[in-house]
Amino acid sequence: MASVWTKFFVHLPVLCVFFLLLLCLPPGGGQKKKENLLSEKVDQMMEWSSRRSVVRMNGDKFRRFVKAPPRNYSVIVMFTALQPQRQCSVCRQANEEYQVLANSWRYSSAFSNKLFFTVVDYDEGADVFQQLNMNSAPTFMHFPAKGKPKRADTFDLQRIGFASEQLAKWIADRTDVQIRVFRPPNYSGTIALALLVSLVGGLLYLRRNNLEFIYNKTGWAMAALCVVFAMTSGQMWNHIRGPPYAHKNPQNGQVSYIHGSSQAQFVAESHIILLLNAAITMGMVLLNEAATSKGDVGKRRIICLVGLGLVVFFFSFLLSIFRSKYHGYPYSFLIK
Amino acid sequence: MAEHHAVSDGKHKASTNAGGSVHGNSRPGAAGGGGGKGGLSGGLTQPAGWQSLLSFSILFLACLAGFSSRLFAVIRFESIIHEFDPWFNYRSTHHLTTNGFYEFLNWFDERAWYPLGRIVGGTVYPGLMVTAGLIHYMLNLLHITVHIRDVCVFLAPVFSGLTAISTFLLTRELWNQGAGLLAACFIAIVPGYISRSVAGSFDNEGIAIFALQFTYYLWVKSVKTGSVFWTIGCCLSYFYMVSAWGGYVFIINLIPLHVFVLMLMQRYSRRVYIAYSTFYIVGLVLSMQIPFVGFQPIRTSEHMAAAGVFALLQAYAFLQYLKDRLTRQEFQTLFFLGVSLAAGVVFLTVIYLTYTGLYAKIHIPIIASVSEHQPTTWVSFFFDLHILVCTFPAGLWFCIKNINDERVFVALYAISAVYFAGVMVRLMLTLTPVVCMLSAVAFSSVFEHYMGDDTKREKPPAEDSSDEDDKRNSGNLYDKAGKVRKHVSEQEKAEEGLGPNIKSIVTMLMLMLLMMFAVHCTWVTSNAYSSPSVVLASYNHDGTRNILDDFREAYYWLRQNTDEHARVMSWWDYGYQIAGMANRTTLVDNNTWNNSHIALVGKAMSSNESAAYKIMRSLDVDYVLIIFGGVIGYSGDDINKFLWMVRIAEGEHPKDIRESDYFTPQGEFRVDKAGSPTLLNCLMYKMSYYRFGEMQLDFRTPPGFDRTRNAEIGNKDIKFQHLEEAFTSEHWLVRIYKVKNLDNREPLDHKLRSVVPKQKYTSKKTAKRKRGHIKNKLALRKGKKLQKK
Repeated sequence: MASVWTKFFVHLPVLCVFFLLLLCLPPGGGQKKKENLLSEKVDQMMEWSSRRSVVRMNGDKFRRFVKAPPRNYSVIVMFTALQPQRQCSVCRQANEEYQVLANSWRYSSAFSNKLFFTVVDYDEGADVFQQLNMNSAPTFMHFPAKGKPKRADTFDLQRIGFASEQLAKWIADRTDVQIRVFRPPNYSGTIALALLVSLVGGLLYLRRNNLEFIYNKTGWAMAALCVVFAMTSGQMWNHIRGPPYAHKNPQNGQVSYIHGSSQAQFVAESHIILLLNAAITMGMVLLNEAATSKGDVGKRRIICLVGLGLVVFFFSFLLSIFRSKYHGYPYSFLIK
Repeated sequence: MAEHHAVSDGKHKASTNAGGSVHGNSRPGAAGGGGGKGGLSGGLTQPAGWQSLLSFSILFLACLAGFSSRLFAVIRFESIIHEFDPWFNYRSTHHLTTNGFYEFLNWFDERAWYPLGRIVGGTVYPGLMVTAGLIHYMLNLLHITVHIRDVCVFLAPVFSGLTAISTFLLTRELWNQGAGLLAACFIAIVPGYISRSVAGSFDNEGIAIFALQFTYYLWVKSVKTGSVFWTIGCCLSYFYMVSAWGGYVFIINLIPLHVFVLMLMQRYSRRVYIAYSTFYIVGLVLSMQIPFVGFQPIRTSEHMAAAGVFALLQAYAFLQYLKDRLTRQEFQTLFFLGVSLAAGVVFLTVIYLTYTGLYAKIHIPIIASVSEHQPTTWVSFFFDLHILVCTFPAGLWFCIKNINDERVFVALYAISAVYFAGVMVRLMLTLTPVVCMLSAVAFSSVFEHYMGDDTKREKPPAEDSSDEDDKRNSGNLYDKAGKVRKHVSEQEKAEEGLGPNIKSIVTMLMLMLLMMFAVHCTWVTSNAYSSPSVVLASYNHDGTRNILDDFREAYYWLRQNTDEHARVMSWWDYGYQIAGMANRTTLVDNNTWNNSHIALVGKAMSSNESAAYKIMRSLDVDYVLIIFGGVIGYSGDDINKFLWMVRIAEGEHPKDIRESDYFTPQGEFRVDKAGSPTLLNCLMYKMSYYRFGEMQLDFRTPPGFDRTRNAEIGNKDIKFQHLEEAFTSEHWLVRIYKVKNLDNREPLDHKLRSVVPKQKYTSKKTAKRKRGHIKNKLALRKGKKLQKK
């Protein structure tokens, strides 16, 4: 309040008319009215946010509760366009993250009237967008309790994304309010696991009289090889880094399945490698089968040649893919 | 290229002879060697002697090939310790040899982590230093005087030979001798293992892989025989492993897993009981003797699986005992099921907890900043293992199809190691041995069938029975494999073989693939893994070589020109090298145990000069050392690492350092004019580019053109207030700045208050007023005057 009054004194000549008006009122009435107004606003905001964690605003409400001066609370505003006809898929994702954050704040023990989460939809408050010269959605802004929003009060969406943890960090930076993001736990993984276990258990129970298949070595060997192939083709890398499936060149529309650098890979690429590795392994096994199995010699010769072909051809193919990724590698075999 | 020849030569021999020795093994009388040794075998009376001579010479050649292919760096440069961590190991080994073992165990290093210091004796795995020290001591005892540095440089290649031998032994236990020889040849030259064991890379992993393989060999041996003798050997080897590397956790989880799976498969036997009970108790007690490990084996979650399996094994053995006494079979099976389920659940939770713990660690910036802690792409697998990565699943397939107790072990080893290698690049090292063994199994079974003559395939039945007898006598040595072979020869006796043409084609192509493998290994070793990184080399267009020895130049300058107790601030990557080569006190080093201290250094590097000066004064910094690659285009310099410094600093001081300040509004990290002003004025930037703006590297580029980042720098007018340039190396790779002491007095920004007050007009006639300003002395003179008067 004090700073407001000093401002008044600085602009004394300009505000003398206002002063005259004030003189008409009982002494100290202005301040009291402001306090009333403030507490009224805070109460209103508290009521809204107790009803739902993110307060929806239109143009009038925005100007009254967010822009207008007597405030002692910070407001985080998400400007967005959630109507289906706007076709903003990013807005929907951002909105989910924002809801998670707002709920974490709403139901945390530190919840107070110092910080409110609001949202302005383009279709409800287009004038606000015009007023703030805003032409992209979603945008997150922080309106501090005192003064005007600065440059850093606009959340840098392009660079750090809109994960609620990042938003919480930004809010902690701007307002000193620490929010511990609490995500509603995702039970789908647990449910899937439970289903799988019960399915396996049920199968075992149904076939309890004939448990021979547990001793089936081929099944176990297949399972082991699946793990090995998944790992050696870099599926764990895909899981942690989440690369795109393939890359489509925006200029000529060509789709490349192999990443050009040796430091990265596409999902499609890792699948190709998985198949190549499996083919080479199968070739080795076939070679062995051809030599050990009983049967017609001609058939065994064919199996042997197929196995050899699998090993040699797919290995040289694998080598050529490796060569195209690892620049400067000098060796190749059959295929350049 | 002498190494190259040795390698491929050894490989050829290995593969030809692998087939030969296998045949000799199965039919002792018929053929001494399938591949070209037929002439010799005719006159031989004792083929077994030839066999062992061949095995011995192949193993010897494999060791030799392994040793010599690791010497690229020594031949190209000199006998020098590589990279970063080896410098610390070398320094502590040096300390050990000069001051003795007990002094080493109690060593408190006050030259690191100033002002905190570091307890070295209690925070290292001492196996490496003790091994090197012991070898040095033995050699000196024999009056072979070598410097400890040479022992350190050549330790890893020597141990790679031992690794080849222990891999041979292990694979022989698992499959047969031919596969063992192939596996020894593979492990000797495979890049996945060479990457950590070239000459000069004096690191824990170099000796730990030997200890790992040898422990596994002794474990398999003790499970097979059930004798306490082998188990005690296994425990001693495990003790050596614990003393050498933190990766011993892999052993203490894999062996219980093996026992657990054996129990699930109803393969429990007294041999397993004796082996595991002895191993767990003795191994536990021995591992707790290492100061760094201490009480961890009974406290932390990584070791709980071993304890759980131990308890389970005792319960199971007790139940087995009861089974002989009781009749209620169903009650027992139910009980067993309940117990095993409970144990399994506990086991899985432990693994889950370990996994999540590991995963959380990956997301801390200081761990994420190390490139070794990244997940693995398929390219790295192929680069490090080449054809082995495609063929080892076939070996795994054969092992599971012909399962027995020890093949359960190798299957579990393969699956767990491949999982860990997928999560983290550096764990490729633990995968490499098992890949070599299983690939050897795959190749050896192919060669077994395709190498050798059809005409010699008939087999007298008498030999067959003697073979059976042999097998029984030799203590179940080759049980399953022997069966498979017998089956093959029987059926080949009944029908004709595949024909010599197909067989020779298959053999030729397989040998060609193996040759490519040998060539690939040599190329990778020579190009990727043999750079000391302390000395750099660049090649001109005509192929001549320039040696850039800036690092050692700068460290030697520090050693010679600075005070002995001077404190040098640098980013943590260079801590060990400064301590090892320059022998000066460092603030942070590669042992990243104190994140906040590192963050403080990062904060100093990323703040402006005056703020940094305050931090440096509080840390008593005398010199700052940075690496700058802009002149020669060296990409691993400090500006490229700078964002990690900012991130780590931001983690501890979020109020002062903000990562976004170092980016342009478009979110780019640029050093030219468009770069953010915070970056252009931070200490690291100023130190890197001080006086660089005056330097024109070549006529096509403007002055101050950074070759690493291909940009003209944005701030060419750099002046220092609190620092001064002390040293810049020949190619500007290392720059050292001296931190000035505080000025005598802070210069005031306003004018000094004049001491003489403005004088009013005073007439000089009255002496009293004049005297009034000057105090006692004049009063004395006045007295004199009075006396005179």
